[in-house]
Amino acid sequence: MMHQTILSGSPTVSDDRDVHLRLDGLTKTYGNSVAVSALDLSVPKGELVALLGPSGCGKTTTLRMVAGLIQPTGGRIVVGSNDITAMPTYRRDMGLVFQSYALFPHMTVAKNVAFGLEMRSVPKAEIERRVKEALAMVRLEALAERKPRELSGGQQQRVALARALVIRPSILLLDEPLSNLDAKLRDEMRNEIRDIQQSLGITAVFVTHDQVEALSMCDKVVVMRAGKLEQVGTPIDVYEHPATPFVASFVGRTNRLEGRARGDGTVDVGPMSVRVPGRPGGNVEIMVRPHRIRLLDADAAQGASGEGTNLLSGRLTRVTFVGDLLQYQVDVGGTEIVVEAASDHGRGIRSVGSPVALAWRVEDTMVFGRSA
Amino acid sequence: MTAITASAPPAAPRLALGRTGTAIALLLPIALINAIGFILPVLNLLRMSFNEALAGGGVRETVTFENWTGLFGDSFYVELILNSITVSLSITLATLVVSYPIALYLHRSTGRWRTFLTVLVISPLLTSAVVRTYGWIALLADQGPIVSGIAALGFAPPRLMFNTTGVIIGLTEILMPYMILSLLAGFGRLDPRVEEAAMSLGAPPIKTFWRVILPLTVPGIALGCLLCFVLAVSSFITPKLLGGGRVFLLATEIYDQAIVTLNWPLAATLSMLVLIIFGAALAVYARILRAID
Repeated sequence: MMHQTILSGSPTVSDDRDVHLRLDGLTKTYGNSVAVSALDLSVPKGELVALLGPSGCGKTTTLRMVAGLIQPTGGRIVVGSNDITAMPTYRRDMGLVFQSYALFPHMTVAKNVAFGLEMRSVPKAEIERRVKEALAMVRLEALAERKPRELSGGQQQRVALARALVIRPSILLLDEPLSNLDAKLRDEMRNEIRDIQQSLGITAVFVTHDQVEALSMCDKVVVMRAGKLEQVGTPIDVYEHPATPFVASFVGRTNRLEGRARGDGTVDVGPMSVRVPGRPGGNVEIMVRPHRIRLLDADAAQGASGEGTNLLSGRLTRVTFVGDLLQYQVDVGGTEIVVEAASDHGRGIRSVGSPVALAWRVEDTMVFGRSA
Repeated sequence: MTAITASAPPAAPRLALGRTGTAIALLLPIALINAIGFILPVLNLLRMSFNEALAGGGVRETVTFENWTGLFGDSFYVELILNSITVSLSITLATLVVSYPIALYLHRSTGRWRTFLTVLVISPLLTSAVVRTYGWIALLADQGPIVSGIAALGFAPPRLMFNTTGVIIGLTEILMPYMILSLLAGFGRLDPRVEEAAMSLGAPPIKTFWRVILPLTVPGIALGCLLCFVLAVSSFITPKLLGGGRVFLLATEIYDQAIVTLNWPLAATLSMLVLIIFGAALAVYARILRAID
């Protein structure tokens, strides 16, 4: 493996010998608009990586470049030690799963799954065996002779998964595979895709705009915004230690306050003072997740006060019952703050207009520098 | 608060017809027009085909099968029928081959470019087939640009007019808009994602075409071929002009028998035969659609 470094001419290859897919300055522009801008990313072998971002952030464009369906304007795509940037899709050996399933409507389920093997001139007997295996993996053996349109959305997506995996691709690419499914099925498929990916140990890239999917399924989350990487990290990293205000507000819900830091660990937000971790200075944004805040009766507030706690008082303006959650909107000196609490049989709902106090731990406060 | 008591607007006056009654009432006009304008004349033709033709254009009301038996006993007519079918099939195939790439490109283009191309494809229909046929006569004539061009390259100048070749060339071009529009109408199942899926599974472009694109466009192909075949069998101006009286097809023969020779019973028999051929074409079309479903 020593000569690999010399051949590729890039020092990073020898550093991460486990890197399976590497994007080097990957760029795609359409005229003057930049869809993906100099993206660098390394995906280790066997990991499931999510590309997470709002629509138009370039995540799908990135995936389609990896699949060879879009030609990059600049940069390289490297699999193992092979530069595949200029390789046509049909030689890339990547399994692709689409949001719209994209099954061949004129072929049976078994024929759909067999297609990739037939393209590889696999012997007939082996095709039959592997198609059976693949359909068993997604629990669809019984439907082998059905046409795609006779199947439900979830079943169709499982066929698409079997079809992509039966060719034993080097990398599995999933483009919003769960977005067309209803909520219950989505949860099921999430676990199913994760289980299959783990048991095969296959490297996979998963494009989604749904933070729950990204956090719950993936080893690593790549948050993208406007064609650039915003943060790359484990789900816990991205959620608990967001690198930017964008990541904090996109991954999970959050309350946002603007203020001026004094440099002594406190921030002035209007007339209020909020304690934050560290000693930042200048203009800052403060973020607190709704479920980190406790809602207290105004008179009980004194007892909750302490060194490590922020305490603000306000007036309750709205209560929303969401089943498992209660959402409170509290007006704190003109700023609205949302608090989420587990709902206990709908008991203990406070009435709108009552004075309340908000308490949260200083360490749960996220601070970001803000220009001007 | 008075709004609450306001009643619903008065019901529109309704004819005392049930659902079926309404359906019949709505269908009646077109049914009448069809009966008077199509079914009656066809029945009249059918009746005429059993009449006896007299010399000098007379017709004697009778019931004879001579027109029909004479048709299949005469090698001229048997050949005419077979020739009509093969020429029409050749035209249909040629139209399909030249139209398919255009339709596929049109299907994939978007926005204003697509609108522009669609208008371009339909625009020949704004000119009558007669005018376009004369255009082809100018192009295909012995002294025309195509023949003299081929001769200038050192090849033996071919005859492109007053023969079957000329008829096929002219009708192929004239029928192209119909074929392209039919193909486009039938391309609905063609999803670019499905093609991408095929490529990701290792199918190079040619294999993607044969295994995925072509099978998915069969409905459009079947529709276009049915339409063009029917139009080719029944077209007579273009074969008449480009064939120069030397290409004998059913449609031109019907014209000759009805207008020139004044043998109406024979013309009627040939017309019924054309109708039978259409019926057969429709049956094949229905079979294809059933087979792919």
